[in-house]
Amino acid sequence: MRWIRVLRLRLRSLLRARQVEQELDEELGHHMQRQIEAHLAAGMSPEEARRTALLEFGGIEQRKEECRDARGLVFVEGVWQDLGYALRTLTKSRAFTTVAVLSIGLGIGANTAIFTFVNAALLKPLPYPQAERIVALQERMPESGTTTLVHPVSFVEWHERARSFEALAIGQPLPVNTDGADGAEMISGFWSTAGLFRVFGVAPALGRAFAEEESRPGAAQVVVLSDGYWRRRFGADFRVVGRTIRMGGSQATVVGVMPPGFRVGTLNTDVYYPLPLDRSKPEAVGSRSFQCYGRLRLGVSLDAARAEMTLIADEIGHEIRAEKGWRVQVSDLRDALVRDSRPALLLLLGVVVFVLLIACANLAGLLLTRSVGRRSELALRASLGASRFRLVQQLVVESLVLAGMGGALGLLLGAAASRGLVFLAKDAVEFGQMADVRLDVSVVAFTVALSVLTAILFGLVPAWQVSRFNLQAALAEHGRGGGDSRGQHRVRAAIMTSEIALAVVLLAGSGLLLRTFANLLQVKLGFEPEQVLTMKLFLTDDAPRRANLVESILERVETLPGVRAVGTIQFLPLSGWTNNGPFYFVGRPKPTDPMNMASDVSTVSRGYFEAMGIQLVRGRSFDLRDRMQSPRVAVVNQAFVDRYSPQQDPLGQVILGDWANPRPTEIVGIVGDIRHNGLTTEPRPTVFLAQAQVPGYITFVVVRTSSDLQGMAAAVRREIQQVDPSQALTAVQSMRQYVSAALARPRLYAVLLGGFAALALVLSAVGLYGLMAYAVSQRTREIGIRMALGARGPVVLRSILAQGVRLAVIGLATGTLCAMAMSRLLTALLYDVSPNDPLTYVGATVVLGGVALAAAFVPARRASRVDPILALRYE
Amino acid sequence: MSKPSDLVQGTLDLLILRVLALESMHGWAIAQRIRQMSNEELRVGQGSLYPALHKLEQNGWIDAKWGESENNRRAKYYSLTRAGRKALQAETVQWERLSAAIALVIRPT
Repeated sequence: MRWIRVLRLRLRSLLRARQVEQELDEELGHHMQRQIEAHLAAGMSPEEARRTALLEFGGIEQRKEECRDARGLVFVEGVWQDLGYALRTLTKSRAFTTVAVLSIGLGIGANTAIFTFVNAALLKPLPYPQAERIVALQERMPESGTTTLVHPVSFVEWHERARSFEALAIGQPLPVNTDGADGAEMISGFWSTAGLFRVFGVAPALGRAFAEEESRPGAAQVVVLSDGYWRRRFGADFRVVGRTIRMGGSQATVVGVMPPGFRVGTLNTDVYYPLPLDRSKPEAVGSRSFQCYGRLRLGVSLDAARAEMTLIADEIGHEIRAEKGWRVQVSDLRDALVRDSRPALLLLLGVVVFVLLIACANLAGLLLTRSVGRRSELALRASLGASRFRLVQQLVVESLVLAGMGGALGLLLGAAASRGLVFLAKDAVEFGQMADVRLDVSVVAFTVALSVLTAILFGLVPAWQVSRFNLQAALAEHGRGGGDSRGQHRVRAAIMTSEIALAVVLLAGSGLLLRTFANLLQVKLGFEPEQVLTMKLFLTDDAPRRANLVESILERVETLPGVRAVGTIQFLPLSGWTNNGPFYFVGRPKPTDPMNMASDVSTVSRGYFEAMGIQLVRGRSFDLRDRMQSPRVAVVNQAFVDRYSPQQDPLGQVILGDWANPRPTEIVGIVGDIRHNGLTTEPRPTVFLAQAQVPGYITFVVVRTSSDLQGMAAAVRREIQQVDPSQALTAVQSMRQYVSAALARPRLYAVLLGGFAALALVLSAVGLYGLMAYAVSQRTREIGIRMALGARGPVVLRSILAQGVRLAVIGLATGTLCAMAMSRLLTALLYDVSPNDPLTYVGATVVLGGVALAAAFVPARRASRVDPILALRYE
Repeated sequence: MSKPSDLVQGTLDLLILRVLALESMHGWAIAQRIRQMSNEELRVGQGSLYPALHKLEQNGWIDAKWGESENNRRAKYYSLTRAGRKALQAETVQWERLSAAIALVIRPT
């Protein structure tokens, strides 16, 4: 029971300090009064009685302090003392403190910055109720296993058969032409079945969602607004429900407004509107181009849903021959959203952990050096009665103070850096919660935890050394200035080699990514992105009108001064979109498996190849001869020829493809290959169809100009408005911007890894220099003796350098081996460079070897010039 | 007259425990009682009494309660705990052994 009472008392003096203090006053006051009364009774005058009592007591304040001492928690007080002591000593050695705090600050800052991303992308819950029950569904091609978006036919089948889902919906982002504040405006829409809102579990904040029967052909047009569009367009007017807005050629009634922050996956959507899905004819709304989301029934696991969908895919494959072999991929929504960015984030997290490790090694080295220098101070304290525990406690507190200051700096740096990163990464990483990249409680908690962890990591070594040190030896060594002990030497060597090894790994990794980036810059695109302006149109009318509209636009834009060529294409190169479908040559035997003969398909207008700067290899490109009624013609690319018609001349051959509005189509031209599907993707066989014959909906206007792009954009916009005032334009960008966006992720890797490697290089250079300089200063006396005995400067220099070089070689070798083992993780991110690229490794080794040598050379040179007399008196 | 600094370290604790073994009392009374019991030989330094009391309380050897003093003032009364009683026994044995040993040294027979 005693310990309970003791604990209660201690807690009381800690937590109710004021009451305890009052009681102390009262207790001592009572004593004084009694004493004075006693003196009065003995016949003293009041004044005298008071004075005597005070004298007898001997300084009330000191006594109080003693009582507090007796009460106070000894440990807490000790820590308090150590804290003050640490702050005093750290302010005294300003250079050491600055280097230490900067090292930790940079290390922790880098981690904080990357963690804000990891937190937002991978850790924060998605903004939906019970988000863990939401899944994304995709289709997987037979054989290749490539995942594709979902076909409406598949969706209808799944919807009827699957029991795992409470709700299932498909939809696709589809722009909407509407009227804005100043004329026609194109807004982003999401065209989906009614289940969408139940899947995500979010109801409109105002009004209602659209109902099942409104998602059928022929239903009255309705629309649900996003919070952002409602505020922007309607000034957050609560009476918006029931009003109508123009959507393309018709009017739609606003039935609801979604709450702020609602989004489907990563999309920024202005309006949600129903997809008129006819269950008996689902293919009428499109093909494999729909996103599909489902909400699992309560108690149904992801695996159970996967198993059911596998069975259903088998059934469908059995019933519908064309669907044979297709599979369904069911993934957790978050997995689906971050699939692309997860490896990037984890790589970066790994990199910054390396930086932090280097910072820790740095600190451990610095503290070790310092603690050895402070041996006599510690020995003195020990001989005055400080326990070993107390000494270790003092060092630990000191490490914590350093880590605390470093952590605070790191938090500031990290906050600033993460803002910079959002900017840097905005084209490269997309995970829908980009807005959530900011400091929050978990980030701060992470930083604090990291600071404590680093303090433990780098503070352990010196503390361990002190806990082992021999008081007598330490006192005896004082003033002798001998070299340090074997144990210390070994610890220091370990720190130096690991620092070098860590830096080699980072340097080699960043070298590989920099070479990848350089290689990507050299990729032959196959088109000329300079001086090319692009913009997006969304055509809504019937086919002849769409064809005519594009033709009128081309006619007008062609005549603008400064325009060298103009054309249109459905999906721009490097925009991440493409169509694909099977085909066959008319007159040749049909392939047994239609997917064996498939080609990318793109609809382009006359003038497109000239405008994009794509080389015409043979034959002709599209021109005014190609009309809606004229015989169908196509242009194919070189990859198509190489793959499907290497022997026979493709010109004049007729193909029939399974794509929109199929007719026998004659190949009339061959163009050069371009990197359409990404910089690192080899060109795929592609068939270009004529916009004038099979006009699409989404259409990009491509203008090659000799004048200023901005001015040209305005001029083109004016011409288009003249043709059709209700036609909105978006995505006005230069082709150069698309190329640059395609380079965004490799550039991010190169910049970040390069930056972190540079940081690591600086940190390790500082650390190595510090350790070497210290090692040399420890040997000053020895050097003095050797020189007094006749050793010459260069000999001394060489012997010291040899010590550094030996360590450097071990570190470089270890680092190179580690880097080669770890570079395999990078393989997916590399282009045209082997993970074992010799040039990169040699480069990293040379750079770091140079740094290590310089770090050893400066102190060695200083030592070799030392005056023997001074050296002998040293210390 | 013996000054407090003359008291062997730890002796004050023993004296306090001994006095409190009779009855619970407040600080001033403890000082008086020690003086009386030692035939006015030992005069406890009044200043050092209180830190000692607080330390003993922290050790869990004595317990403190507020009560009315004999002339109707609020005063802090200390009393011995079970642990304190045990400590008193141990300390007494220790003290007797020590003083006997010292006696042997300074008055060899």
